[in-house]
Amino acid sequence: MPPILAEIAQLVVNGIMTGTILAVPAIGLTSIHAVLRFPNFAVASHATVGAFAGYVANVKLGLPVLPSVVLAFLVAGAVGVAADELVLKPFRAAGFITTAIASIALTIALENLVRFGFGNELRGYDLPIMRDWRLGGIRVGPQQLQNLAIAVAAMAALFAFLAFTRTGKAMRAVADNPMLASIKGINADVVARLVSFVGMGLAGLGGMLIGLDTTIDPLTGFRAILSVFAAAVVGGLGSIPGAVVGALTVGVGEELCLLFLSPDYRSAVGFTAILLVLTLRPRGILGQRAY
Amino acid sequence: MTLLNVAGLVAGYSAADEILKGVDFAIEPGEIVGIIGPNGAGKSTLLKAIAGLLKPSRGSITLNDRPIAGHAPREISRMGVAYVPQENNIFPTMSVRENLEMGGYVDPAGTRGRIELAFGRFPVLAEKRRRAARTLSGGERQMLAMAMALMVEPEVLLLDEPSAGLSPVAAERLFESVIAINRDGVTIGMVEQNAREALSIAARAYILVDGRNHRTGRAADLAADPDIRRIFLGG
Repeated sequence: MPPILAEIAQLVVNGIMTGTILAVPAIGLTSIHAVLRFPNFAVASHATVGAFAGYVANVKLGLPVLPSVVLAFLVAGAVGVAADELVLKPFRAAGFITTAIASIALTIALENLVRFGFGNELRGYDLPIMRDWRLGGIRVGPQQLQNLAIAVAAMAALFAFLAFTRTGKAMRAVADNPMLASIKGINADVVARLVSFVGMGLAGLGGMLIGLDTTIDPLTGFRAILSVFAAAVVGGLGSIPGAVVGALTVGVGEELCLLFLSPDYRSAVGFTAILLVLTLRPRGILGQRAY
Repeated sequence: MTLLNVAGLVAGYSAADEILKGVDFAIEPGEIVGIIGPNGAGKSTLLKAIAGLLKPSRGSITLNDRPIAGHAPREISRMGVAYVPQENNIFPTMSVRENLEMGGYVDPAGTRGRIELAFGRFPVLAEKRRRAARTLSGGERQMLAMAMALMVEPEVLLLDEPSAGLSPVAAERLFESVIAINRDGVTIGMVEQNAREALSIAARAYILVDGRNHRTGRAADLAADPDIRRIFLGG
C-alpha cells in the first residue's frame, strides 16, 4: 500500500475508534435532549465523574476494566439523577436556555468537586502493557479494540432497551409526544429520572473509555464536550442513531484533519462541523428522530 | 346513573382568559353525545378540562359520581376516560404496534389480546403494524389514535374533532368506525366541526356558544330545528 494511502487508512481506523467512543456520551446528551428538551452541558463533568469513579474502582480497589466501566456508568448515572433533581429541575420551568446555562454552572461545580478530591495531576488506569496488532500495515491497540467492544456493547444494550422493553418504549413515547404520553398514563417525572440516569451513565462510561485510551484529569470531560456536542448536532440533536452517525463523522473528520493540520487544531473540526450542519441542514444528518 | 357529569364548569388557559363560563354537560352510558358550536365556543376546552389537561377554576366533573376534576391526566385515564386530541394524537416515530402498546400503558396485562382486537377492528392498521405512525394517512392516523384510546377499555371515549382535515371519503369511514365502536358498548363524547354529520350519528347534542350552553337536546330534534339549521348547519 502506498504510504499516503496507508496513513489515510490508519487515520480512518483511528477515527472510527474515536468516533465509536465519542458516540457513547453523545447518545447520553442526545437522549437527555430528546426527553427533557434542553442541551445538558453537564455531560462534560459527568464524563469526568465516570472517569474518576472508574479510576477508583480500577486503581484503588484493583478491579478489572469491565467491572470498573460498569461502576463508572452507575456512579455517573446516580450523580446525574441527583444533580438533575436538585439543580436543573427547578430551572426547567424557566425555559431551555436558562436550564442549559444552569447545566454549564453545574458542570463547572462538579468538575471542581472532582478537582478538590483528586487534584489536578494526570492519572492513568492500571492496564497491562500490550503490543499493538498490525493488520496489513494498520496498527490497532488491543486496549483500543476492547474500548470499541465496550462502546458497541453499551450502544447495543441501549438500543435493545429502547426497542424491546416497556420502559424503553415509554421513554421514546415521552421524547416523541410528551402531552400524549401524559394522557396515556406515562409518568414524565419517572422517565426524566430514568433518562438522566441512562444519559449521564453513558457520559460517565464514555469518560472512562476516553481515559482508557489516554489519561484522566478533572478536565477530561470538558476537553471532550465540543466533540460530543458536535456529534449530537451533526447527527440531529435528539436522534440516537444520529448521535452514532455524527460521532463517527466527527471522529473520522478529526483524525483526517491531521493530514493537513497540527493536532492543536483538531477541535476546529467540531466547530466546523457544527457550523456546516447549522447552515446547511439544521436538523442534522438524520433529523430529530428520537430512535 | 349519569356516566359523566359536568356542572357549572369554568376553565381556560389562564385566570384572565376563561373560555368556559359555566358549562353543564352529561353523558349517559352507551350513547354518542355530540358537542358542536362555532369556533372559540369552548368545545375542545371542555374535553381538555375533562381529560385533566386544564384545571377548572370552578365547577365539578364526576365520573360515576366520583369527582375527577383536578386529577392528573394519567389518573383520569386510569379512571376510565380516554381522550383523543384533535392533533398530535400519535407517537410519530414509533410503529403502529408500539403506539397501541403505549395506548394500553396503564393496563399492560392483556395488551397483546387487545392489540389483536384493535387490528381486527381496524384492518388497515394490521396491514401497517410495523410501519412508523408518521407514514400513515390522515384518516389512518385518526383510526390509530382511536384504537390507542380503546386499548384501556375506557368507560367513555372523548374525541376532539376526529374528522378535521380529512377528505370526505376518509371522514365517512371514520364516522362509520365511531358508530361501530359505540355499537360495541363504548360511550362516546365527540366534538365535531362537521355539525351535520355529528348530529346524524349522535343520540343527543350540546351546542356551545361563547363558553356557555346554547341548546341541548336530542340530536334529531336539533338537526330539524330551523334556527339551528340556518346558523350551524348552513341552511
